[in-house]
Amino acid sequence: MSSLAPSSLAAFAAQACEITGAENVITSDLDTYAVDDVTPGVAVRPLDEAQVAATLLAAATHSLAVIPLGGREHIGCCNVPARYDVALLTERMSRVVAHEPADMTITVDAGARLTDVQSMLAEHGQHLPLDPIGDRATVGGIIAASAFGPLRHAHGTVRDWLIGIRVAHPDGSVSKAGGRVVKNVTGYEMTKLYAGSFGTLAVVTEATFKLAPVPPLSSTIALACDSPHEGARVALAARDAGLSVRRCELLSPAAARRVVGSARWHLLCEIAGVSAAVGRSLRELRSLVGGSGEERPQEVWTHWRHAFTPAYFSLRLHLMPSRVSDAIERLATELDENPTSISSTVVAGVVRLNMLGENAPTERIVVAARSLAAAAGGHAVVEAAPSDLKQHIDVLGEARGDLPIMRRLKEQLDPTNVLSPGRFLGRL
Amino acid sequence: MTVQEAVPGGRVTRVVVRELERALGRERVLSTPEELIAYEFDGTIERGMPQAVVFPESTEQVAAAVRIAHRFDVPVIPRGAGTGLSGGAVATIGGVIVALTRMKRILAVDPVNLTAVVEPGVVNLDLSNHVAPLGLFYAPDPSSQRACTIGGNVAENAGGPHCLAYGATTQHILGLELVLADGEVVNVGGAMRDVPGYDLAGLFVGSEGTLAIATKITVRLMRLPESTRTLLAIFDTVDDASNAVSSIIAAGMVPSALEMMDRNIIAAIEPVIHAGFPLDAEAVLLIEVDGLDESTQEQAGVIDAICRKHAAREVRIAVEKPDRDRLWAGRKTSISALGRLYPNYYVLDGVVPRTKLVEVLRQTYAIAAKYDLDVANVFHAGDGNLHPNLLFDERVPGATERVLQAGAAIMRLCVDAGGSITGEHGVGLEKRDFIAWIYDEPDLDAMRRVKAAFGTGANYNPCKAFPTHKGCGEIHSGRLPRTPAADGAEMYV
Repeated sequence: MSSLAPSSLAAFAAQACEITGAENVITSDLDTYAVDDVTPGVAVRPLDEAQVAATLLAAATHSLAVIPLGGREHIGCCNVPARYDVALLTERMSRVVAHEPADMTITVDAGARLTDVQSMLAEHGQHLPLDPIGDRATVGGIIAASAFGPLRHAHGTVRDWLIGIRVAHPDGSVSKAGGRVVKNVTGYEMTKLYAGSFGTLAVVTEATFKLAPVPPLSSTIALACDSPHEGARVALAARDAGLSVRRCELLSPAAARRVVGSARWHLLCEIAGVSAAVGRSLRELRSLVGGSGEERPQEVWTHWRHAFTPAYFSLRLHLMPSRVSDAIERLATELDENPTSISSTVVAGVVRLNMLGENAPTERIVVAARSLAAAAGGHAVVEAAPSDLKQHIDVLGEARGDLPIMRRLKEQLDPTNVLSPGRFLGRL
Repeated sequence: MTVQEAVPGGRVTRVVVRELERALGRERVLSTPEELIAYEFDGTIERGMPQAVVFPESTEQVAAAVRIAHRFDVPVIPRGAGTGLSGGAVATIGGVIVALTRMKRILAVDPVNLTAVVEPGVVNLDLSNHVAPLGLFYAPDPSSQRACTIGGNVAENAGGPHCLAYGATTQHILGLELVLADGEVVNVGGAMRDVPGYDLAGLFVGSEGTLAIATKITVRLMRLPESTRTLLAIFDTVDDASNAVSSIIAAGMVPSALEMMDRNIIAAIEPVIHAGFPLDAEAVLLIEVDGLDESTQEQAGVIDAICRKHAAREVRIAVEKPDRDRLWAGRKTSISALGRLYPNYYVLDGVVPRTKLVEVLRQTYAIAAKYDLDVANVFHAGDGNLHPNLLFDERVPGATERVLQAGAAIMRLCVDAGGSITGEHGVGLEKRDFIAWIYDEPDLDAMRRVKAAFGTGANYNPCKAFPTHKGCGEIHSGRLPRTPAADGAEMYV
């Protein structure tokens, strides 16, 4: 249910029809665009940046709350909206604005799907080395959620690849930051601010990334381990040996059963690079577990994506890498009676936990995970949860001493609280 | 959207100096003209006289100094080693310089999680040397790394040759303890990249001392590579060398460094360093690959072939450290060696898309010729980051003006080629006048709002980075006649 009087919505919808054309203003069957069980009063499909900005201004004029939506793959990873009137859909904004293969940069509209961008880049032997979950994930959504997958191991997160951005503000203005060159320190690093801001500060309309070459050779092996400790030890040892590891996920037995078909602790590693280096890395990795890791087809990473698509309840812990295996062991004990898929990008200190069963004691798990994470100097983010649970926890973690700066950033950039109100950390 | 603020209205009177002395101890405050002269400059030709320089040794002392400056509404200018190349540490309208050089402790090193916590005054290379016995290093390596501080690197988001593969400073900073303009101490980021909320650490890096002073910095360390190979490729034309750069990048190679030096640089360094650079070559490329031995061997082979395909006269490959160091010695001393050619040089810092290198370099030479100047190029070719050095003698009437005009023309050239006015030195004072070529009013307004959110007010490093304050406009890149320093209750700006 939208939170506002129908008259403002109707006035806004009329204005939106002028901005985008009536065929792009949706007023029925809006459940599709519900966020945490809150259904908007209208959905708008702008074609370009100017229409986004005009739509935001119109919404602000009528005191309506807007949530930008891309592929909605990571939309659950935020607090329940305090208000939600307008769904702003970026689906029509999917152009590749510029691709300079020799410069290894690409500029795309926010609504472009990463999978489409990657297919186009593959023809040039290039890619954006990000592999977040969700085939529908858009560039804008990935930036907003700072979403990442196993490539985090070698390639960091979206902030490390984003070199330029254009955004629309709720006062109807648009601004840019960065540019199209790979090295640039002109002005504040606004790209860093927008990455991970979950649509609470501005609406991303266009992004420019630097690109990486697709490695000439790649091979994936699954190494069975006796315990999470052994898996984490091998992951860190491979890092320290400088082996050509591109992805490296420590899988719990429940996760391994789904991903590699064997219910034991596993380390799933992709080795990539030039041939001689790949060969040696494979040999040394195997010797680290004192056994023979089985080579797997690349599709095993697709299985991984399916296994870790945010489900009924998904949690992500961020810890010091040295604390990962202890935390996993304790979590596994805690969850004993509820077999849970766990996957950890050990060297980045990331632990994902995915639960399909709907009877899980979710709140107890959040509390346990948070206290475990805090003891290990980290924190836990809820990526997906039933909205009744989300009502009484802050899904993004516990606010710290820097929250006042964040609040002032929100007030400065979205002074009338139009954008995704209540969804951010501290319910900003 | 518009937010604008005035420059600080207060003055650094004797009263302010006494308060600083009381709070920090007299031995940590300089205020006589003779003492202050050393702090009038940084690495640029900008100048501006502070009325006091303080040397805090703790976060509490930084906060105390900042609170006093805040109370009297006077500018605060954070300063590291003073090696900056955009005027970021120059007290352009006077004020209190907070020199962080005495805060130089390495507080913690975590070799498992690959982090270190340092104070801002730690010298860049000292950190790498400190962790080398553990097989670790700190990747950002600006050419001034023997002198520049981590705090200054954070302020400017400093780069260096190896940021081609490893990224600039921003990719190596995890957490910061900050002193805000009112003296409040806040921690942002942490011991790992992911912390709840907005990426304030990412936002802070590169803010050029305008948002806060970092008093503790958590950095990411990296494992030293098993193998490194350095190639020196010698070319008879700059075009061939530039084309080789584009081909190396386009071939999917990821060298850790890819540097170019032109004939004028070679002429300056070879007689000093004896690196074996042929004096009749028009350009040399210095290319480094690192990683597993198998990997560097194969990549070096591919790069060697590409260079030869682009008519490299000769390619040398150094594997052993002394041989590699000899090749790098030429690069690392190149700018200071320019003093052999001319008494003064002015180093620019533009960025262009890598495919535009050939064209932009040609036009750079043409612009220098038009202004009757010699230019020497030594730069990070792999990421399109140009450093043309305009050579001159400031004693020749009109020479400095010609240099500034040529510099502006080259910056404009970079912007017109789709590039940027700074890749790693920062905007500072030097390029404030050019920022409007890159950013429109709404772009700058969003940044001003960020500044407002940090509660910085007018105090922190006024008139730097982007045109924020009313009253800064008439200051022409700070090249003012020296202003008399503090004495008595006189005012000085």
